Amino acid sequence: MIDEKKLEILTESAKYDVSCSSSGSRRQNTRGGLGNASAGGICHSFTPDGRCISLLKILMSNDCVYDCEYCPNRRSADVPRASLTPDEICELTINFYKRNYIEGLFLSSAVFSSPDKTMELLCETATKLRKLYGFNGYIHLKGIPHADPALMMRAARVADRMSYNVELPSEKSLKLLAPQKTKQSLLLPMRRLKDAIDCDRQLKLRRHILPAGQTTQMIIGASPESDGQILKLTESLYRNMGLKRVYYSSYIPVVRSSKLPALPTGLLREHRLYQADWLIRFYGFDVDEICGENENLSPDYDPKCAWALKNMHLFPVEINSAPLEMLLRVPGIGAKSAYKICEARKFAALDFDNLAKMRIVLKRARHFITCKGKFYGTESLPAVRAALILDGAGERSEQLSMFSEPSTALSVLNGQL
Amino acid sequence: MKIFVTDGSSDSFFTAVFDAYNCRDSLITSSNDVQMTFDSEIISVQPDPEKSRRVQSGISRCDKGAIGDILLVLRSSDGLKEQTALEYVRRLMERKSPIDRAYNLPEVILFNETKEKVTGELHKMKGFLRFMESSSGALYAPYSPDNDITELLMPHFAERFKNQRFVIHDVKRKLAGMYDGRECITAYVGEAEIYLSEYELVFQTLWKKYYRAVNIESRPHEKQMKGYMPVRYWKFLPEKNGNGDL
Repeated sequence: MIDEKKLEILTESAKYDVSCSSSGSRRQNTRGGLGNASAGGICHSFTPDGRCISLLKILMSNDCVYDCEYCPNRRSADVPRASLTPDEICELTINFYKRNYIEGLFLSSAVFSSPDKTMELLCETATKLRKLYGFNGYIHLKGIPHADPALMMRAARVADRMSYNVELPSEKSLKLLAPQKTKQSLLLPMRRLKDAIDCDRQLKLRRHILPAGQTTQMIIGASPESDGQILKLTESLYRNMGLKRVYYSSYIPVVRSSKLPALPTGLLREHRLYQADWLIRFYGFDVDEICGENENLSPDYDPKCAWALKNMHLFPVEINSAPLEMLLRVPGIGAKSAYKICEARKFAALDFDNLAKMRIVLKRARHFITCKGKFYGTESLPAVRAALILDGAGERSEQLSMFSEPSTALSVLNGQL
Repeated sequence: MKIFVTDGSSDSFFTAVFDAYNCRDSLITSSNDVQMTFDSEIISVQPDPEKSRRVQSGISRCDKGAIGDILLVLRSSDGLKEQTALEYVRRLMERKSPIDRAYNLPEVILFNETKEKVTGELHKMKGFLRFMESSSGALYAPYSPDNDITELLMPHFAERFKNQRFVIHDVKRKLAGMYDGRECITAYVGEAEIYLSEYELVFQTLWKKYYRAVNIESRPHEKQMKGYMPVRYWKFLPEKNGNGDL
């Protein structure tokens, strides 16, 4: 049976990893097997920090040979160390899954002894779960940079999703803060996996490798890159590497270092980056429209509002005739609302009251639309700006209360960013 | 006003639709505590398979998916669900083509909202249901959902567990879904007595430790936690110590 203390150490070490999603895979159960994957993902619990628990997120070991500046588990840090065996992890996963605590396993690890050895043990654990325990739930494996490509492919055959973290938004920062990792060691396996996935998808197989694809994660605010640079990198990762998600984790100073900022990055910045990320993936925006190369996103409005205010000549749009692509660009109207409007207007012309009854949020949108030719917003641009800033105030103050105090953040000694 | 009182079954509802459809001033309900006026006439509906079949085929001719949606709405805990469904059916028969996306109609908005409460809770329970292992190896999950979703939840877990026996027990409705490794049945069960396996409490403790360790204490956001995981569900969650008042 797994030791409680070990579980605590290895969970604390894994908890700063942002990704916990269990979506994207439709893995079926096998005869006599246990579990399957649900394409939309399922959240099993929520912690007091407001995040969901979907997967058992844990490190195999936090005993690292690397010395990354930002990481509390780096070699030179004085923290309690622990490791689990593949069998201990399998037993815990199966028993948590049976009780419906989790949707599957998210296994990562510090690099102990060598990258190959580490990757091999991650592989062994996942393979054991599949073959020995007949487990068909979700498995997300973290890729270990510098490990043998053959091991990576073995992992890809049993996992639903894999992720190599780019860690920092530029090669320069990577060199400074994570000297043992190189851009090549992170991007090359990502590229190889992408090619393998592309190849695999063309074959008519019953079971595909990595059905939920690849994701990555980077730390925001530990290094000087602008939002524009970060979003450019994000866009190229989506377009060239075919990633499913890019996660951002705003920097928390858990380690004291002269190379790192002393203050945490506000969660508002992370929030704005995610909003921009959504605009790129689901709303048909290009990065250049949202944010210039060396600019940062505005803290006052969400990126769609900011774009609309710069492009007021395109508004207001008539709700009953505007094409879907344009509805998606109206501040306050999300993908679901835009779809609802398109469907409903086939039945009848919509007025302002209809929209409100359809639960479409009009606080921001009313300045940018007309319904049956009638305008319900504010005419002058400065007034619209003021109204939007006021609307955003709630968002900002709520975000501010979430800012981690530097003093409390320092007390979080065990963490992997 | 004519008040058609059904026994809660879907056959009974469709029979009531048959009788009430042309009667302007009418109401269908399965609940006993409905507000009555002086001139109201109570009609107790006897399920009639023939009437029910005719109504269903009439509805299906306008929209193939509508029966499935109506059955979902009838599982809601809303006291006016039958009336909501009746008004939806009236609109549907008027249009003679699917209206599920006519978001401009108030009947459709109300119907969809009622339906989404059922499917929303169904999805939540796929995550929040908690099984305990009994000494015989069978899994047992008590819960108390707002809507009657046990039958809808069974196939999801049967597919996951394959040859593992389990019971899902709606303690509020005293209804239990049982799976023996091959098929699902539902039956009324008052109280259940469970002998836990020797490892059950060990894994519950490990799960609680995990829950505490994975939280980032320096970033509290309780409002969001409660928004996604309403307090009324906490009673059956070990990580919340089974305490809905915490």
